[in-house]
Amino acid sequence: MRGAGEPRIGGDLMRHTFIIADAEYEAWLSRRGDAYVLHVAEEAIPVALAPTGNGEQVLSVGSETSHVLVATDGDMVHVHIEGSTFTIRYVDPVQRYGSHAAGGAEDIAEAPMPGVVIAVHVDQGQRVSPGDTLMVIESMKLETAIKAWREGAVAVVHVGVGQTFQRGAPLLTLAPQTGP
Amino acid sequence: MRRIESKLDLASEEFRLNRAHNCGLAEKLKERHRATRRERPARDLERLSRQNKMFVRDRIELLLDPGTPFLELSTLAANTEYGGEVPGAGIVSGIGIVNGREIIIHADDASVKGGAWYPLSVKKIVRTLDIAIENRLPVVHLCDSAGGFLPLQADIFADRYLAGRIFRNQSILSKLGVPQVAIVLGHCTAGGAYVPALSEYNVIVRGTGAIFLGGPPLVKAATGEDVTVDELGGADVHTRISGTADYPATNEEQAIAIARELVGQTPRPTKLDVEQIAPEPPYYDPDELYGVIPRDIKVQFDVREVIARLVDRSRFHEYQPAYGTTLICGFAHIWGFKVGILGNNGVLFNDSSLKGAHFMQLCNQSRVPMIFLQNITGYMVGRDYEHRGITKDGAKMIMAVSGSEVPKITVICNGSFGAGNYGMAGRAFDPRFLFMWPQSQISVMGAEQAANVLADIKIRQLSREGRSLSVAEVATIREPILEEYRRQSSAYYSTSQLWDDGILDPPDTRNALAMAISVALNAPIDRPHYGVFRM
Repeated sequence: MRGAGEPRIGGDLMRHTFIIADAEYEAWLSRRGDAYVLHVAEEAIPVALAPTGNGEQVLSVGSETSHVLVATDGDMVHVHIEGSTFTIRYVDPVQRYGSHAAGGAEDIAEAPMPGVVIAVHVDQGQRVSPGDTLMVIESMKLETAIKAWREGAVAVVHVGVGQTFQRGAPLLTLAPQTGP
Repeated sequence: MRRIESKLDLASEEFRLNRAHNCGLAEKLKERHRATRRERPARDLERLSRQNKMFVRDRIELLLDPGTPFLELSTLAANTEYGGEVPGAGIVSGIGIVNGREIIIHADDASVKGGAWYPLSVKKIVRTLDIAIENRLPVVHLCDSAGGFLPLQADIFADRYLAGRIFRNQSILSKLGVPQVAIVLGHCTAGGAYVPALSEYNVIVRGTGAIFLGGPPLVKAATGEDVTVDELGGADVHTRISGTADYPATNEEQAIAIARELVGQTPRPTKLDVEQIAPEPPYYDPDELYGVIPRDIKVQFDVREVIARLVDRSRFHEYQPAYGTTLICGFAHIWGFKVGILGNNGVLFNDSSLKGAHFMQLCNQSRVPMIFLQNITGYMVGRDYEHRGITKDGAKMIMAVSGSEVPKITVICNGSFGAGNYGMAGRAFDPRFLFMWPQSQISVMGAEQAANVLADIKIRQLSREGRSLSVAEVATIREPILEEYRRQSSAYYSTSQLWDDGILDPPDTRNALAMAISVALNAPIDRPHYGVFRM
């Protein structure tokens, strides 16, 4: 963290995050004239990457140079360097800083709109997994499946087949989660 | 922007059944396309070869740059009309590349009733030229028409959007500086004579091509003058004497080669400067769309599963992910073009309507073309919602969609019912292009609901006359209504009437959208401005 009054613009918090062999690395590439500088931890190292023409590239990091082969596969980048292969995965900052507990904390499924129950697929006490269809409701000519939003046991089914309900009415409750 | 995490279970029974069902519909669509494009009675094809004329599809193939894509529009126009005997309404329309330029083609199909213009042929040509005007697309006309289909003359001639509109649109294109090249490959009689005359450049084939206001029989009847086709309006008459045509050609191949050269000389349009990145395919296979679309139109599905199979790397920046969740809004790239996407995820409520109107303003502000993915049963009804102003919130969406300056492209992915069609850039709201998926339905209300309403009225009428009806009698009233309603709300009926620009096989949607966006960027756009939003 930088101290108050320090004249640097841009902190280190939003450096890119990469995962290599289960370890997280933070890094940032900046421009200096026509060249690039890699910022890792407190260091700023001049770097360059130049194609050799035969599919390989020459990577210079500070004063060291090596031949590298790079292959991209979706979100993964495979790098072959000095006889070893590393797989690098980019971590999206919005996901990285997001709460891992998002969703799943609630116990009650509430009606997203007024409607009628068409089918109930679960009984009280039944264990469900995320994505299981709990019940199907119909509103405005549209059938919507109410799906399990987390693991758990069905505590209460509030409405039965053919029953109508208002928006916000409880449809089904899962037993509260105990412990982490 | 990050990848949408698909929740689709590719191993599930549901996916498998959807996939089988929708692949069947896609096969049927491909077969209809094939038959419309290629199947003709032998006598019509023989007549063409006797006249030394090429089949319209071969002419187009020769015109286009080899190996380039051709986005055919309204292939199945008129498929439910005229006893099914006028495939494609006798007109081929589509966007392709000629000598490196994006152009739109209007081609008369002389293998269908001698290329006569039926009411839907006129509608298709007018639509083709509307697309040319809206997107500043140069036009190549392949003229080979017997003229208006006289038994239906009342439906092709006098009204605002009938035949006269073709020539009005040609004149407007010229005024806008959008060039047209016509190739006269057969007779251009009466109104049809103006198509080459109103084009900047035209080419006429010696022997088969002719242009005249009245053909020899009409001249004979009117004035008693005996004259041959060539003397009256052949290639030499018009290129040497009258100046109505520019370039004589000795055969169709040469005429097409001259036309290609002419198109190559037109100025290259400057495209609208919008954000573009290097295109990449979606992470999720577009073929999986077959398993996403439910077999029953009533069953809800997550439009994000569709978006994930249309956009580059399946990456999507979702706007207001927690607000108005029945309308999904956000930014993505399609073949590198930045787009704003609005997709239905249920009924439109007050909050989702406000979100939609606001998001459209964001897209206009940042000059981002908008893609509408329709699957909409309508706006929510009921006391609570009226009290909260559902009608005025829907009106805000309509105000925003109508006032938008950036190009809009609409895909009807499933249902398009009631006012939802309006707020989501239905045909009346001038999307640059509107496509449908084969299973989709479009009508003012659902078939079941409409059949019930209509049957109820009949039943009440009869009961006023003191008659009560058995269940079986009610069914005999309801069934035909339901059947007719279903027919008229099908994608095939819609495309027959040119309510859309064609039915797409869902995995092709990404490519069609990319071509549509690319041509849409030919036209300039104004600064954002709108009418009054009722607050």
